[in-house]
Amino acid sequence: MTPILHAEHLIKQVRSGERQLTILSDLALSVFPGETVAILGQSGAGKSTLLGLLAGLDLPTGGELMMFGQRLADLGEDGRARLRAGRVGFVFQNFQLLPTLTALENVLLPLELSPRGDSEQRAREWLARVGLGERLDHLPKQLSGGEQQRVALARAFVTGAELVFADEPTGNLDTETGERIIDALFSLNREAGTTLVLVTHDHALARRCDRCLRLGHGRLEEMALDEVGA
Amino acid sequence: MSLSILRLARFSARGLVRDLRAADVRALFVALALAVAASTMIGFFLDRLDRGLTRQASQLLGGDLVLEQGRPFDAELRTTLEEAGLVLSDQVDMVSMVSLADAFQPASLKVVDDRYPLYGGVHVDQGEGVEVVAHGPSPGEVWLAPRLALLLEAEIGDRVRLGESELAVGGMVEREPDQSAGFGSFNPRLMMHRDDMEATELVQDGSRVSFELLGAGPPDILDDLAPLLERLRRDGVEVRDVRRDRPGLGSALERAERYLSLAGLAAVLLAGVAVAMSTRRYVDRHLDTAALLRCFGATQGELSRLFGLQLLWLALAASVLGALLGLAGQGALLALLTAILPLELPPPGMLPLWLGVFTALSVLVGFAGPTLLRLKRVSALKVLRRELDPLPASAWLVVAVASGVFGGLLWLYSGDPGLALGLLLGGLVMLMVLWGLGSLLLGGVLRLAARLPRDGREAGVAQALRLGGAQLARRRTASLGQLLAFAVTFFAMAMIALVRGDLLSTWEAQLPAETPNYFAINIQPHEREAFEASLSGAADARSALYPMVRGRITAINDMAPREAVPAEARGDNALRRELNLTWRETLPEGNRLVAGTWFEKRRSGQESEQESGQESGQEESEPSGWYAEVVSESATSPEAERVPISVEDGLAERLGLGLGDTLTFTIGAAEIIGEVSSLRDLDWDSFRPNFFVIFPPGVLERFGHSYITAFHLDDAEREVQRGLVRDFPGVTLLNVDAILAQVRDLLSRVTRAVEVVLVFVLLAGVSVLYAALTASLPVRAHESGLLRVFGAGNRLLSRVQGAEFAILGLASGLMGALLAELAAAALYLAWLDLAPRLHLWLWLVLPLGGALLIGVIGHLLSRNLRRQAPATSLGLLGET
Repeated sequence: MTPILHAEHLIKQVRSGERQLTILSDLALSVFPGETVAILGQSGAGKSTLLGLLAGLDLPTGGELMMFGQRLADLGEDGRARLRAGRVGFVFQNFQLLPTLTALENVLLPLELSPRGDSEQRAREWLARVGLGERLDHLPKQLSGGEQQRVALARAFVTGAELVFADEPTGNLDTETGERIIDALFSLNREAGTTLVLVTHDHALARRCDRCLRLGHGRLEEMALDEVGA
Repeated sequence: MSLSILRLARFSARGLVRDLRAADVRALFVALALAVAASTMIGFFLDRLDRGLTRQASQLLGGDLVLEQGRPFDAELRTTLEEAGLVLSDQVDMVSMVSLADAFQPASLKVVDDRYPLYGGVHVDQGEGVEVVAHGPSPGEVWLAPRLALLLEAEIGDRVRLGESELAVGGMVEREPDQSAGFGSFNPRLMMHRDDMEATELVQDGSRVSFELLGAGPPDILDDLAPLLERLRRDGVEVRDVRRDRPGLGSALERAERYLSLAGLAAVLLAGVAVAMSTRRYVDRHLDTAALLRCFGATQGELSRLFGLQLLWLALAASVLGALLGLAGQGALLALLTAILPLELPPPGMLPLWLGVFTALSVLVGFAGPTLLRLKRVSALKVLRRELDPLPASAWLVVAVASGVFGGLLWLYSGDPGLALGLLLGGLVMLMVLWGLGSLLLGGVLRLAARLPRDGREAGVAQALRLGGAQLARRRTASLGQLLAFAVTFFAMAMIALVRGDLLSTWEAQLPAETPNYFAINIQPHEREAFEASLSGAADARSALYPMVRGRITAINDMAPREAVPAEARGDNALRRELNLTWRETLPEGNRLVAGTWFEKRRSGQESEQESGQESGQEESEPSGWYAEVVSESATSPEAERVPISVEDGLAERLGLGLGDTLTFTIGAAEIIGEVSSLRDLDWDSFRPNFFVIFPPGVLERFGHSYITAFHLDDAEREVQRGLVRDFPGVTLLNVDAILAQVRDLLSRVTRAVEVVLVFVLLAGVSVLYAALTASLPVRAHESGLLRVFGAGNRLLSRVQGAEFAILGLASGLMGALLAELAAAALYLAWLDLAPRLHLWLWLVLPLGGALLIGVIGHLLSRNLRRQAPATSLGLLGET
């Protein structure tokens, strides 16, 4: 089976004043369709940097990175954007809902870029699936944190994405709300048959994935699920 | 997968509707609407005025182009003109005898075809009262001027004899739309149809007949025909065209026109500044959206199109509102001015509307474009790392693009690339100076704020000033931007108010209360002293008495005048009629030498024993030391010595005369050759006797002359007027009170029109303040939130913000005053023809008014911030 995401010898360095900092070094990873993969790491380990690279939001300093069988290095910014359109969904720690858009409009946003005839109907259905069928016209500020993240979940899946990236999806939520969000995320993922890559420092969340990888000292290492403590 | 334009259009329109809640979008909308309103209002008005004047000129000429010669025009020329797009009409003018029974009268014949008149209507009485018709007489009939009918004792229905034909009198022609005066214009008019011409057999070889070919069409056709017209002129055809023979506006209206254009541009500039300020906030607010869309797969091109379209909708909506406002505004201008305009104005055309929309789009592209590019450059990674904002557009790029676009608009509206470039470069230099000055001021404020007392009871205000000043100086770049925007705003508002004031006071000075309201002409030399004595005790003000001799220009530089002058001046009135000439020792009051030197006494002749002590300077007889001997020589000798003459600047320009050129005048039977020794600028609206040509004393005294003067009499001094009429029965007194009242009315109406425009400029200025202050609110909210967290009360926050706004207003007011003073001086000299002066009040009103205005508006706008909980304020930054 061809991996949906494949990284080899991935390197990311950034310049900090006179110094060159290596965030990721010689990193390798393959994610196959339908898998759920958790990337664990301490704060500052470079989890978000890795997520940005894997999603094609940024380019590595070196190494090979492929998404949907395409070498990302061969594509420009616009090419990578096109590759993502309609196929990649995102869930962010701080929800990233647009404050002037209603819940429905926020979910419709990615559909504007990958047009389909029944966009609005789909958006309504996905919002209903996350339990917000009655809150379509509410602005983000009228929703609680958990509700906002549910809107973000609907937005990530509404285009029928093949690959969803989640960046600390429970980081801004209390434990109870966080658990409900995770339930919803995994249930939607299962129903849609999507590949899920999430970065987190929450071991409980990581344990629910098929695979767990630890990011440390710029490298990824596979963890057995029973290694992942509470 | 790319977005179709239709989908993008819908997406962007929906986004805009949602965005209307945002203060920056509202500010953008208001600023663009004001730019369009100001430019369309002035555009509509000036366009109608211009077309009205052109139409009036076309009507007076009989067409946009009139060709005249002594033989019929050939078919080839007709075809060329028709193919160029002109509608042609033929006319023949000649003088002939017309008779009815025993009565014979010479008449000035005007033979017209079915297309007559090309413009306007003929006022004719065909038996049912005077009506205006758009045609001439039908074949078989003639229309007579009432005077001709009276002389012939003809009535409608009578048949008059003309050459070999008899034609029925079909109407009495009261007024013709075209008033081209030919050689027959002293004879009363007879108008007939071209089809009857042949039967009269009036046109024979050698007959004095003038054939005219009149053409009507868009004036720009004349540009295409220029080479042909030049060839025709060389072939001896008299060519008159609407562009050259247009009536001018009075100087007051001309200045008002320029002022309106200037005010319109000031409003556009202010709107541009408001757009630039609002766009920064708009872009900041949309960075997250752009990043998210990049994340979801939008390309840079799609983002550009999306936000570009969103602002395009906004500009179009603002254009519609602005155009409606402009239309209403020009209606108000016209309501004020129609009564005094000497013509009927055509309805508003579409051009100003397109220009208005074009202006809005240009302002948007020029003032918002570079800033908007940030949205396109946003990185998708910003969704993960919020601090990854794209770099702000370089200030120099923003200024350069805005200046380029504004310069283009200046060029478009003023039609003068030199002026546009000059203003633009001047503006840019000033901006750099302001930038430096602003930096120094901010540095000064920071140092000053640091020295203010930090404790003690009396430190309340000092504390507010210290914190406010420090905040201002800390946000150096943003504060500098605001400082410049406010300075430019105050500058533009002050300029428009300043120029208005000076324009009005110039107009008032032009017609002071004691402006002469009487002219006395035909004062004979022997009456002169007595007349002056009668006036000296009564008139509040009077001009000198000027002698007046009538003479005709019969040669220029020894050539026939028509050959010596530029082609377009061949029909100039100064060559067709006798001119009033005068002589004078000194330069008349209100005249200004623009070239050459004023007359000096002849050193070669006998020196005057004593100077004429009279202030008026006219020498009645034997003006020793001047040019008396020249006259006696010139009467006998063909090699007459030339005398210096002073010529009015405008006439010299029209006739192509310069210093050293000679003009030969025929006065009675004598010829006098004058050499242009000076050119004078004078004010034709001054209600004083003015002369095209002035001689030195000693030349014209021997010819028959009378005197003219102008003076002012109050209503209470009517007795003096009756005395003058009684004592000098030969002198003609003309009362010009009615004309004076008309001119004063004109000035007061123009003043009010100017004020209508001023309101627009002030509104545009307020829109800048609003845009800039709303744009800065999030940052201020953050700072207030922090201060509140650290324990600042509502009172202190209010004072700190008040102090910050007041310092900003004070500094920008000072800079605005400096800018206004410098620019006004340059503008007066270059464009408005006024003398520059210093305006001390500006240095007080602008800084204090600025501090008050910005203080109050800023205080009100930030009221909500002070009510917010610190958590909300701190979270506000970059989220709404």
